[in-house]
Amino acid sequence: MTEFSPAIVIPLVLWGTLVGLDLVSVPQAMISRPLVAGTVAGALAGDVETGLRIGVLFELFALDVLPVGAVRYPDYGPATVSAVALGLGTPWELGLGISTALGLVFALLGGWSLQVVRRSNARAIQRHAAALAAGESSAIRWLQYGAILRDAARGFILTLAGLVVASTIAESVRLDRPTAVALTLVAIGSALAAGVNGAVRGSGRGTRLKWLLAGVSAGVLITVLT
Amino acid sequence: MNRQLRALLRLFAVQGTWNYERMLGVGMGYAAEPLLEDLKAVDPVRHGEAVVRSAEFFNCNPNLAGLALGATTRAEYEAVPGAQIVRLRTALCSPLGSMGDQLFWAGLVPALLGVALVAVVLGAGWWAILGFLLTYNAIRLWTAYWSLRLGIASGMRVGAAISSSWLPRAIEWAGPAAGLALGAAVPVVAGWYLRDFEWAAMVGIAGVTVAGFALTRWFGPGLTSVRFAIVAMVALLLFRRIGL
Repeated sequence: MTEFSPAIVIPLVLWGTLVGLDLVSVPQAMISRPLVAGTVAGALAGDVETGLRIGVLFELFALDVLPVGAVRYPDYGPATVSAVALGLGTPWELGLGISTALGLVFALLGGWSLQVVRRSNARAIQRHAAALAAGESSAIRWLQYGAILRDAARGFILTLAGLVVASTIAESVRLDRPTAVALTLVAIGSALAAGVNGAVRGSGRGTRLKWLLAGVSAGVLITVLT
Repeated sequence: MNRQLRALLRLFAVQGTWNYERMLGVGMGYAAEPLLEDLKAVDPVRHGEAVVRSAEFFNCNPNLAGLALGATTRAEYEAVPGAQIVRLRTALCSPLGSMGDQLFWAGLVPALLGVALVAVVLGAGWWAILGFLLTYNAIRLWTAYWSLRLGIASGMRVGAAISSSWLPRAIEWAGPAAGLALGAAVPVVAGWYLRDFEWAAMVGIAGVTVAGFALTRWFGPGLTSVRFAIVAMVALLLFRRIGL
């Protein structure tokens, strides 16, 4: 396990904040996708391999989410950053399971925190209802800046809390090798189930399903040949 | 800075004030501000009314919000009755939401991610991540620019302009591309994780995958894949603790 020094924690918290903002508020450039968030977090902490392993696994979970309309979903960005922090410096077969467990709990917390921010935005709009009804552009601007600031604070707190818990787990939890490996196997199996779920649901029936099956055939071929 | 460019940049924060009452409304008002500035000098009363309308309830896929923004702004400058502009805004919510979600969330994003996942496993590393980010953002930037320009150019006739554009055809291709890429990615990623384990472990993973897939489909949406994973991990730790 890597020590949680300020040189690691500060960049990770800043990255987690950006990633948290990117999910909904700004700029939706997809840096919040676990594959990106995890790999960059690994690079910032000097362990790209762990970042990739955890990022790919969380990406499978994220593929099961279709963020349409007002649907509620987990926030995998800051959660992936925390999971990567916990997995740093540990062989991935041993660290992936417990890192995934931590990340998934924080992904759910992240989803809940999004609802808190959205309710808070609605309250701010109600407070400025008179200014909005009067057509004051400055009210719109300040509502926008305030909401983005709230979301940034959400990402910051979520990542910081995730790193504190990761640090506590790294110091106090000692799993024996069979348990750590078994946890990793369950994490991989669950992530694959999520990935399959996302692929099947997105394909529906008919022509799209044929394309999915063609993709699966190509994927199996690539796996056998490499 | 050019007013259209300012509006375009502000569109990337159109979900900044997302809430369950006005949804994208305030974000749309924020993006509309630079475009409505000229109206203030011409007709201050109309400008005030336009600002109020711009921040009212609105919802659609953020990547196509420029179509509604451009169309309603042009309508404001053409002095179209306010009630008609509100009707246009309301009418655009569902189609822009549906088309944008199909094109981006169910098409382009999973398709590019599927390719990126395969590339990562094949050893592309950073190039896969960079390729994904650059491709997605190039398409998205261009779509946002196109949306705003088309909206401004077509005003109240934006519906006809959309249906004769490339958008419906792109949607037809996006879904199959996503299916193909994700279909390839899942077995490739599975092989990447499994190749370091023995057969018994692989059978265990397959069991968890089948159980997870079946249970989340059977009990969903109450039992999501995340909840299944957490329950399975807690169950495993409990079994290990009691010596099973």
